[in-house]
Amino acid sequence: MTIAVLRPHSWDFPLFLHVLGATLLFGGMLTVTVVGIAAWRRRDVAGLLTGVAFRTFLIVVIPAFVLMRVAAEWILSREKDQIPGLDNKTWVGIGFIVSDAGVLVLIALGILGYFSKRRGGGFTTAAFAVLSTVYLCALAVAWFAMSGKPGA
Amino acid sequence: MTTYDWLLFFHVTGAFFLIGATVCAGWLTFLARRRERPSEIATLLGLVRVVLPLMFAGVVLTLVFGLWLVRAANQGYGYDDAWVIAALILWVLANALGQAGGKREKETQELAARLASEGDVASEDLRARLRDPATLALSFGSGVIVFVILVLMIWKPGS
Repeated sequence: MTIAVLRPHSWDFPLFLHVLGATLLFGGMLTVTVVGIAAWRRRDVAGLLTGVAFRTFLIVVIPAFVLMRVAAEWILSREKDQIPGLDNKTWVGIGFIVSDAGVLVLIALGILGYFSKRRGGGFTTAAFAVLSTVYLCALAVAWFAMSGKPGA
Repeated sequence: MTTYDWLLFFHVTGAFFLIGATVCAGWLTFLARRRERPSEIATLLGLVRVVLPLMFAGVVLTLVFGLWLVRAANQGYGYDDAWVIAALILWVLANALGQAGGKREKETQELAARLASEGDVASEDLRARLRDPATLALSFGSGVIVFVILVLMIWKPGS
Protein backbone atom coordinates (compact mmCIF):
# COMPACT_ATOMS: atom_id res chain seq x y z
CA MET A 1 0.00 0.00 0.00
CA THR A 2 1.37 3.42 -0.85
CA ILE A 3 1.63 6.64 1.08
CA ALA A 4 -0.45 8.48 -1.49
CA VAL A 5 -3.45 6.29 -0.73
CA LEU A 6 -3.13 6.71 3.02
CA ARG A 7 -2.44 10.43 3.14
CA PRO A 8 -4.75 12.59 5.28
CA HIS A 9 -6.47 15.60 3.69
CA SER A 10 -4.29 18.00 5.71
CA TRP A 11 -1.41 17.04 3.36
CA ASP A 12 -3.36 17.97 0.23
CA PHE A 13 -2.42 21.64 -0.03
CA PRO A 14 1.37 21.26 0.31
CA LEU A 15 1.20 18.23 -2.01
CA PHE A 16 -0.76 20.27 -4.55
CA LEU A 17 1.84 23.07 -4.43
CA HIS A 18 4.64 20.51 -4.81
CA VAL A 19 2.99 18.82 -7.81
CA LEU A 20 2.04 22.19 -9.32
CA GLY A 21 5.65 23.38 -9.01
CA ALA A 22 6.98 20.13 -10.44
CA THR A 23 4.66 20.16 -13.46
CA LEU A 24 5.35 23.87 -14.12
CA LEU A 25 9.08 23.14 -13.80
CA PHE A 26 8.78 20.32 -16.34
CA GLY A 27 6.71 22.54 -18.66
CA GLY A 28 9.22 25.37 -18.34
CA MET A 29 12.17 23.06 -18.95
CA LEU A 30 10.36 21.47 -21.89
CA THR A 31 9.94 24.95 -23.39
CA VAL A 32 13.58 25.86 -22.70
CA THR A 33 14.74 22.58 -24.27
CA VAL A 34 12.56 22.81 -27.39
CA VAL A 35 13.45 26.47 -27.95
CA GLY A 36 17.13 25.85 -27.09
CA ILE A 37 17.45 23.00 -29.60
CA ALA A 38 15.66 25.08 -32.26
CA ALA A 39 18.06 27.99 -31.58
CA TRP A 40 21.01 25.63 -31.93
CA ARG A 41 19.77 24.17 -35.24
CA ARG A 42 18.33 27.32 -36.86
CA ARG A 43 20.87 30.11 -37.10
CA ASP A 44 18.39 32.42 -38.91
CA VAL A 45 16.20 32.74 -35.80
CA ALA A 46 18.81 32.01 -33.12
CA GLY A 47 18.72 35.61 -31.87
CA LEU A 48 14.97 35.44 -31.20
CA LEU A 49 15.01 31.95 -29.74
CA THR A 50 17.98 32.35 -27.39
CA GLY A 51 16.17 35.37 -25.91
CA VAL A 52 12.94 33.38 -25.53
CA ALA A 53 14.80 30.47 -23.90
CA PHE A 54 16.56 32.71 -21.38
CA ARG A 55 13.38 34.64 -20.56
CA THR A 56 11.48 31.36 -20.07
CA PHE A 57 14.25 30.15 -17.79
CA LEU A 58 14.00 33.26 -15.61
CA ILE A 59 10.20 33.72 -15.58
CA VAL A 60 8.94 30.11 -15.54
CA VAL A 61 11.70 27.66 -14.56
CA ILE A 62 13.25 29.43 -11.54
CA PRO A 63 9.94 30.30 -9.75
CA ALA A 64 8.59 26.78 -10.49
CA PHE A 65 11.73 25.19 -9.03
CA VAL A 66 11.43 27.30 -5.85
CA LEU A 67 7.74 26.40 -5.48
CA MET A 68 8.46 22.69 -6.03
CA ARG A 69 11.40 22.63 -3.58
CA VAL A 70 9.77 24.68 -0.77
CA ALA A 71 6.53 22.66 -1.00
CA ALA A 72 8.60 19.43 -0.97
CA GLU A 73 10.07 20.41 2.40
CA TRP A 74 6.60 21.34 3.67
CA ILE A 75 5.01 18.01 2.70
CA LEU A 76 8.07 16.08 3.93
CA SER A 77 7.84 17.75 7.37
CA ARG A 78 4.18 16.64 7.59
CA GLU A 79 4.90 13.08 6.41
CA LYS A 80 7.91 12.59 8.71
CA ASP A 81 5.64 12.96 11.74
CA GLN A 82 3.65 9.91 10.67
CA ILE A 83 6.11 7.80 8.65
CA PRO A 84 9.23 6.76 10.60
CA GLY A 85 12.49 6.59 8.60
CA LEU A 86 11.08 8.53 5.67
CA ASP A 87 14.39 10.38 5.17
CA ASN A 88 16.11 7.07 4.42
CA LYS A 89 13.65 5.87 1.79
CA THR A 90 15.16 5.37 -1.67
CA TRP A 91 12.51 7.40 -3.46
CA VAL A 92 12.95 10.38 -1.12
CA GLY A 93 16.73 10.17 -1.62
CA ILE A 94 16.32 10.22 -5.41
CA GLY A 95 14.09 13.27 -5.12
CA PHE A 96 16.69 15.08 -2.98
CA ILE A 97 19.52 14.18 -5.37
CA VAL A 98 17.67 15.45 -8.44
CA SER A 99 16.44 18.63 -6.77
CA ASP A 100 19.66 19.54 -4.93
CA ALA A 101 21.97 18.69 -7.85
CA GLY A 102 19.39 20.54 -9.94
CA VAL A 103 20.42 23.80 -8.22
CA LEU A 104 23.91 23.45 -9.71
CA VAL A 105 22.45 22.53 -13.11
CA LEU A 106 20.13 25.55 -13.00
CA ILE A 107 23.04 27.86 -12.15
CA ALA A 108 24.98 26.44 -15.10
CA LEU A 109 21.92 26.81 -17.34
CA GLY A 110 21.48 30.41 -16.22
CA ILE A 111 25.10 31.25 -17.11
CA LEU A 112 24.94 29.42 -20.45
CA GLY A 113 21.53 30.95 -21.24
CA TYR A 114 22.82 34.46 -20.55
CA PHE A 115 25.86 34.10 -22.83
CA SER A 116 23.79 32.24 -25.42
CA LYS A 117 21.38 35.19 -25.52
CA ARG A 118 24.20 37.72 -25.77
CA ARG A 119 25.96 35.85 -28.60
CA GLY A 120 22.76 34.73 -30.34
CA GLY A 121 23.97 31.19 -31.07
CA GLY A 122 27.21 29.18 -31.16
CA PHE A 123 28.81 26.86 -28.61
CA THR A 124 27.00 28.23 -25.57
CA THR A 125 23.64 27.68 -27.29
CA ALA A 126 24.61 24.07 -28.09
CA ALA A 127 25.75 23.50 -24.49
CA PHE A 128 22.56 25.12 -23.17
CA ALA A 129 20.40 22.83 -25.36
CA VAL A 130 22.29 19.68 -24.31
CA LEU A 131 22.29 20.52 -20.58
CA SER A 132 18.59 21.41 -20.58
CA THR A 133 17.83 18.05 -22.26
CA VAL A 134 19.82 16.22 -19.58
CA TYR A 135 17.99 18.07 -16.80
CA LEU A 136 14.64 17.29 -18.44
CA CYS A 137 15.54 13.57 -18.29
CA ALA A 138 16.57 13.96 -14.63
CA LEU A 139 13.14 15.41 -13.87
CA ALA A 140 11.58 12.30 -15.42
CA VAL A 141 13.68 10.14 -13.07
CA ALA A 142 12.43 12.26 -10.15
CA TRP A 143 8.76 11.82 -11.02
CA PHE A 144 9.35 8.08 -11.48
CA ALA A 145 10.73 7.98 -7.90
CA MET A 146 7.95 10.22 -6.50
CA SER A 147 5.08 8.29 -8.12
CA GLY A 148 6.40 4.70 -8.19
CA LYS A 149 8.16 5.04 -4.84
CA PRO A 150 10.74 2.28 -5.47
CA GLY A 151 12.07 0.81 -2.22
CA ALA A 152 9.11 2.12 -0.20
CA MET B 1 6.98 -1.96 -7.00
CA THR B 2 3.38 -3.16 -6.98
CA THR B 3 0.95 -3.05 -9.90
CA TYR B 4 -0.65 0.00 -8.28
CA ASP B 5 2.74 1.79 -8.18
CA TRP B 6 3.33 1.13 -11.90
CA LEU B 7 -0.18 2.28 -12.82
CA LEU B 8 0.30 5.44 -10.77
CA PHE B 9 3.68 6.06 -12.41
CA PHE B 10 2.21 5.85 -15.94
CA HIS B 11 -0.77 7.99 -14.91
CA VAL B 12 1.54 10.63 -13.39
CA THR B 13 3.79 10.45 -16.47
CA GLY B 14 0.73 11.22 -18.60
CA ALA B 15 -0.09 14.16 -16.32
CA PHE B 16 3.44 15.54 -16.63
CA PHE B 17 3.34 15.16 -20.43
CA LEU B 18 -0.08 16.81 -20.66
CA ILE B 19 0.54 19.69 -18.24
CA GLY B 20 4.14 20.20 -19.39
CA ALA B 21 3.12 20.42 -23.04
CA THR B 22 0.16 22.66 -22.10
CA VAL B 23 2.49 25.06 -20.24
CA CYS B 24 4.92 25.03 -23.17
CA ALA B 25 2.18 25.65 -25.78
CA GLY B 26 0.51 28.35 -23.67
CA TRP B 27 3.77 30.18 -22.98
CA LEU B 28 4.94 30.12 -26.62
CA THR B 29 1.50 31.30 -27.79
CA PHE B 30 1.58 34.11 -25.21
CA LEU B 31 5.04 35.21 -26.43
CA ALA B 32 3.98 34.96 -30.09
CA ARG B 33 1.06 37.33 -29.43
CA ARG B 34 3.50 39.99 -28.22
CA ARG B 35 5.56 39.90 -31.44
CA GLU B 36 5.10 42.15 -34.48
CA ARG B 37 7.01 40.42 -37.27
CA PRO B 38 5.16 37.51 -38.94
CA SER B 39 8.39 35.47 -39.22
CA GLU B 40 8.84 35.58 -35.44
CA ILE B 41 5.17 34.78 -34.82
CA ALA B 42 5.34 31.84 -37.25
CA THR B 43 8.52 30.52 -35.60
CA LEU B 44 7.10 30.60 -32.07
CA LEU B 45 3.71 29.15 -33.03
CA GLY B 46 5.50 26.55 -35.15
CA LEU B 47 7.41 25.33 -32.08
CA VAL B 48 4.09 24.59 -30.38
CA ARG B 49 3.63 21.81 -32.99
CA VAL B 50 6.80 20.11 -31.67
CA VAL B 51 5.22 19.39 -28.26
CA LEU B 52 1.82 18.24 -29.59
CA PRO B 53 2.80 14.51 -29.70
CA LEU B 54 3.71 14.78 -26.00
CA MET B 55 0.35 16.42 -25.32
CA PHE B 56 -1.54 13.68 -27.17
CA ALA B 57 0.45 10.99 -25.34
CA GLY B 58 -0.45 12.70 -22.06
CA VAL B 59 -4.14 12.81 -22.98
CA VAL B 60 -4.17 9.05 -23.65
CA LEU B 61 -1.98 8.01 -20.68
CA THR B 62 -3.94 10.05 -18.11
CA LEU B 63 -7.27 8.61 -19.28
CA VAL B 64 -6.27 4.96 -19.73
CA PHE B 65 -4.20 4.62 -16.57
CA GLY B 66 -6.52 6.91 -14.60
CA LEU B 67 -9.51 4.66 -15.30
CA TRP B 68 -7.39 1.58 -14.58
CA LEU B 69 -6.26 3.11 -11.28
CA VAL B 70 -9.84 3.73 -10.12
CA ARG B 71 -10.44 0.01 -10.52
CA ALA B 72 -7.07 -1.22 -9.21
CA ALA B 73 -6.61 1.13 -6.24
CA ASN B 74 -9.09 -0.89 -4.18
CA GLN B 75 -9.50 2.04 -1.80
CA GLY B 76 -13.20 2.59 -2.14
CA TYR B 77 -13.00 4.67 -5.31
CA GLY B 78 -15.56 3.97 -8.01
CA TYR B 79 -16.48 5.17 -11.47
CA ASP B 80 -19.60 6.72 -9.92
CA ASP B 81 -17.66 8.98 -7.52
CA ALA B 82 -18.41 12.66 -8.14
CA TRP B 83 -14.71 13.64 -8.47
CA VAL B 84 -14.09 10.87 -11.03
CA ILE B 85 -17.12 11.88 -13.10
CA ALA B 86 -16.19 15.58 -12.84
CA ALA B 87 -12.62 14.81 -13.94
CA LEU B 88 -13.85 12.83 -16.96
CA ILE B 89 -16.25 15.61 -18.02
CA LEU B 90 -13.51 18.23 -17.62
CA TRP B 91 -11.06 15.99 -19.53
CA VAL B 92 -13.47 15.83 -22.49
CA LEU B 93 -14.12 19.59 -22.26
CA ALA B 94 -10.40 20.42 -22.10
CA ASN B 95 -9.75 18.30 -25.19
CA ALA B 96 -12.64 19.81 -27.13
CA LEU B 97 -11.60 23.39 -26.30
CA GLY B 98 -7.92 22.65 -26.93
CA GLN B 99 -8.65 21.08 -30.31
CA ALA B 100 -10.81 24.04 -31.42
CA GLY B 101 -8.26 26.59 -30.15
CA GLY B 102 -5.37 24.65 -31.67
CA LYS B 103 -7.05 24.66 -35.08
CA ARG B 104 -7.35 28.45 -34.95
CA GLU B 105 -3.74 28.83 -33.79
CA LYS B 106 -2.60 26.64 -36.68
CA GLU B 107 -4.42 28.90 -39.15
CA THR B 108 -2.75 31.94 -37.53
CA GLN B 109 0.65 30.27 -37.82
CA GLU B 110 0.06 29.46 -41.50
CA LEU B 111 -0.99 33.05 -42.20
CA ALA B 112 2.09 34.38 -40.36
CA ALA B 113 4.34 32.02 -42.35
CA ARG B 114 2.80 33.23 -45.64
CA LEU B 115 3.22 36.88 -44.65
CA ALA B 116 6.82 36.18 -43.62
CA SER B 117 7.60 35.00 -47.13
CA GLU B 118 5.89 38.06 -48.66
CA GLY B 119 7.90 40.85 -47.03
CA ASP B 120 7.53 40.02 -43.31
CA VAL B 121 4.97 42.75 -42.59
CA ALA B 122 1.97 42.01 -40.35
CA SER B 123 -1.47 42.41 -41.93
CA GLU B 124 -4.64 43.57 -40.18
CA ASP B 125 -5.96 40.02 -40.46
CA LEU B 126 -2.95 38.64 -38.59
CA ARG B 127 -3.23 41.28 -35.87
CA ALA B 128 -6.95 40.56 -35.51
CA ARG B 129 -6.26 36.82 -35.24
CA LEU B 130 -3.62 37.39 -32.55
CA ARG B 131 -6.09 39.51 -30.54
CA ASP B 132 -9.09 37.23 -31.16
CA PRO B 133 -10.75 36.70 -27.73
CA ALA B 134 -12.48 33.48 -28.86
CA THR B 135 -9.16 31.80 -29.72
CA LEU B 136 -7.70 33.06 -26.46
CA ALA B 137 -10.65 31.70 -24.48
CA LEU B 138 -10.50 28.30 -26.21
CA SER B 139 -6.75 27.77 -25.87
CA PHE B 140 -6.19 29.19 -22.41
CA GLY B 141 -9.55 27.88 -21.14
CA SER B 142 -8.41 24.39 -22.04
CA GLY B 143 -5.19 24.93 -20.09
CA VAL B 144 -7.01 26.23 -17.02
CA ILE B 145 -9.31 23.17 -17.05
CA VAL B 146 -6.27 20.87 -17.05
CA PHE B 147 -5.12 22.53 -13.80
CA VAL B 148 -8.63 22.18 -12.32
CA ILE B 149 -8.38 18.43 -13.06
CA LEU B 150 -5.06 18.42 -11.17
CA VAL B 151 -6.84 19.98 -8.17
CA LEU B 152 -9.49 17.21 -8.32
CA MET B 153 -6.80 14.52 -8.50
CA ILE B 154 -5.09 15.80 -5.34
CA TRP B 155 -8.13 16.62 -3.18
CA LYS B 156 -10.51 13.93 -4.47
CA PRO B 157 -13.51 15.79 -2.97
CA GLY B 158 -16.12 13.48 -1.50
CA SER B 159 -13.77 10.49 -1.22
